[in-house]
Amino acid sequence: MRAALRRYGWSYLFVLPTFSLFVVFTLLPVLQAFGLSLQSARIVGGEWIGLQNFVTLAEDPVFRQALGNTVLYSLVVVAAQLTLALVVASLIQPLGRKSQTFYRALFYLPLVNSAILVAMVWRWIFNPNPFGLANTVLGAVGFEPLLWIGSSDQALAAVILSAVLTIPGGGVVLYSAAMGSLPRELYEAAEVEGAGALTKWWYITIPLLKPTTLYLLVIYTILAFQVFERVYVMTSGGGPNNATITIVQLIYSTAFQFGRYGLASAMAVVLFIMAVAVAVVQFRSLRSDVEY
Amino acid sequence: MDRIEGTTINRRRFLQALGAVGVAVACGPAAPTGASPAPSAAGSATVAAAKPVSIEWWRRNYTAGTQNAETLTSDGAVKAFREKNPNFTISIQGGPFGPETDQKFDIAILQQKAGPDVFHTTGGDVLKYAAAGQLSEPPLTAAEKADFNTSALTATTYKGKVVAYPLWIVPWFEYINLDLFKERGVTPPTDGNWTYDQFLDAARKLTFKRADGKQIYGFAHANDEFAFMLIDGGRLYDKDVKKWTFNSTEAISGLEKWVNLAKEKVMPPDYLTLNPNDSQARFIAGEIAILQRPSAMINVLNADAKWKYGTNWDIANFPKGATAQTAWGGVGFIAVREQADADKKSAAHAFAKYLTGPDIGPDLKKMTPPIEYWLAPAARTSAAGIYGEYHPAKAKVAKMGSFTYVLPNVSTWAEIDQKYLRPARDAALEGKKTAKQALDEVAPTAQRLLDEANK
Repeated sequence: MRAALRRYGWSYLFVLPTFSLFVVFTLLPVLQAFGLSLQSARIVGGEWIGLQNFVTLAEDPVFRQALGNTVLYSLVVVAAQLTLALVVASLIQPLGRKSQTFYRALFYLPLVNSAILVAMVWRWIFNPNPFGLANTVLGAVGFEPLLWIGSSDQALAAVILSAVLTIPGGGVVLYSAAMGSLPRELYEAAEVEGAGALTKWWYITIPLLKPTTLYLLVIYTILAFQVFERVYVMTSGGGPNNATITIVQLIYSTAFQFGRYGLASAMAVVLFIMAVAVAVVQFRSLRSDVEY
Repeated sequence: MDRIEGTTINRRRFLQALGAVGVAVACGPAAPTGASPAPSAAGSATVAAAKPVSIEWWRRNYTAGTQNAETLTSDGAVKAFREKNPNFTISIQGGPFGPETDQKFDIAILQQKAGPDVFHTTGGDVLKYAAAGQLSEPPLTAAEKADFNTSALTATTYKGKVVAYPLWIVPWFEYINLDLFKERGVTPPTDGNWTYDQFLDAARKLTFKRADGKQIYGFAHANDEFAFMLIDGGRLYDKDVKKWTFNSTEAISGLEKWVNLAKEKVMPPDYLTLNPNDSQARFIAGEIAILQRPSAMINVLNADAKWKYGTNWDIANFPKGATAQTAWGGVGFIAVREQADADKKSAAHAFAKYLTGPDIGPDLKKMTPPIEYWLAPAARTSAAGIYGEYHPAKAKVAKMGSFTYVLPNVSTWAEIDQKYLRPARDAALEGKKTAKQALDEVAPTAQRLLDEANK
């Protein structure tokens, strides 16, 4: 051990800069958030209050609403994005090399757009006025305009729809790359047995993509839990009657508008625990070695 | 940090000067800890003659080199002040309006006990900084106090002491599109006065669809409003700001009047999410006949060649409800940070007094080109006249101060408003709750937050 350390110890110097940045800008703030969550912290100090912030959250109807909205948003959006990414990647896969590259780029490019700009476009699409794009389309096919983001009944659905209708370019690229590395002989064997395209997709492609699916599931779930800018821009904060308020939106306003850093940190801790718990469950239920 | 023309020291010299002041303070006699000495005009002249003093002014929305109103007026104010006090060096630090800048103020003033010597502030921030002992009490004489608008002075009072200089009162009122009134044959309110029923009737008639399919709405407001809840005499708190009273009969009937507007569909369907800029844009596009916005929009309309005051736009009061004419407004303040350096504090008070006083408006008007200093009616009688001289619309607005309800400062107001009151308002406007249910539900939480603010 000592010999190994003497021989390779210097290599830790190479990871030191990145590790230092990680400690200063990620690890310490996370630990500080845990500490703040147990205090009545405002901008000027605070007192140790134990778990009182968590009790306050449990009793706060706005936090419960934010929690419910975040869970609902995540369930629908993650399921839809995974399905869409898988379907789009599967449609791209049979194409020629150049066409594959073209479509991968096509679906990935929108990701480089500013999330705020994208949200502003969706705000216009779901504008409750007749000139909103969605209402224009509804009008063209003979339906009455909807209130979309202008109604507490429809605002969350509009936000979710905006996320669902945005094809997840990252997922398409990852699935597409994973599909390209699947062994051809399994498909050939299936073809010999008379399997059709859908059967091969269902019984070979999807099971073999399990590691990629697990990765995307975890990442998309965490991203969905963190939804903020879409809600902030599309519905001017939490929407009519707090209809679209999410946990991160509430963390933002609680910390930076109401100055309750302790309470906001407690929300962040709850979100952290949710993300870890869901990730553990996802890993346990989907983890399996795929060999081919 | 931006350097104002005429102030030639560089950063190194600035830091050296600061260091020298620090050493002088550390080695010299203890600085006074109470209220700062009165920076009378003579006092400020004495400081001016004695030695150079550098102070820092933090001004939201100041961006050196741009033509925005805050930048032009701030640069003009510093230039005019330095002409009278050439030994003062004033650096301006900007920052956009919003929570990020608010946090920057909080960190500097509350945590680091440093930062600006003089700064603009609004709302609950005044009380927050005062509670932390970070504001230096303005040395106002009784005559000067009597010169300020009473409600504005009350809004800057903490535990019986005035803790900042009221700068201006920003009233909200109705902008009316005279072309649309004419098109629909609706008579504009005489002298800007109308009852709620007259207003509702006008809004109904002004909501229509043109032959080309373009929908026009009679009335709109941005989603940060609650003014209708005031017109029947409803008020947020009692006079001592100890009791939440916004579920009184008057507040409920005010909200019911607002709900009526939603029921009558005289507002655009996105009225619950319509942000202030979009609401202004829709009025300017000719889609809204009556728009409820603050005085700053006068300059927006004046900057647009197609809008001519008195020809196709005018201003009117809030519709009058069951009680006397009312309006709603916010107050802006200039505050001086408490600090050990007596020279800086004295200079900061002299500058703050100038920024809120009667001389600055005429001084900036004399400049070439003339600068309109007052972006809203002054909170001080002796300074109020010039705002009305800028423009006839402003002359009308300048008279609104007498019936403008200024929101008392409560440090938890943002939480009461955004987290509880607005959603309750939305529920009532959407018809999911009655006005009484909505306001009664908010009351206990609002009272708890008010009690917390009063601790």
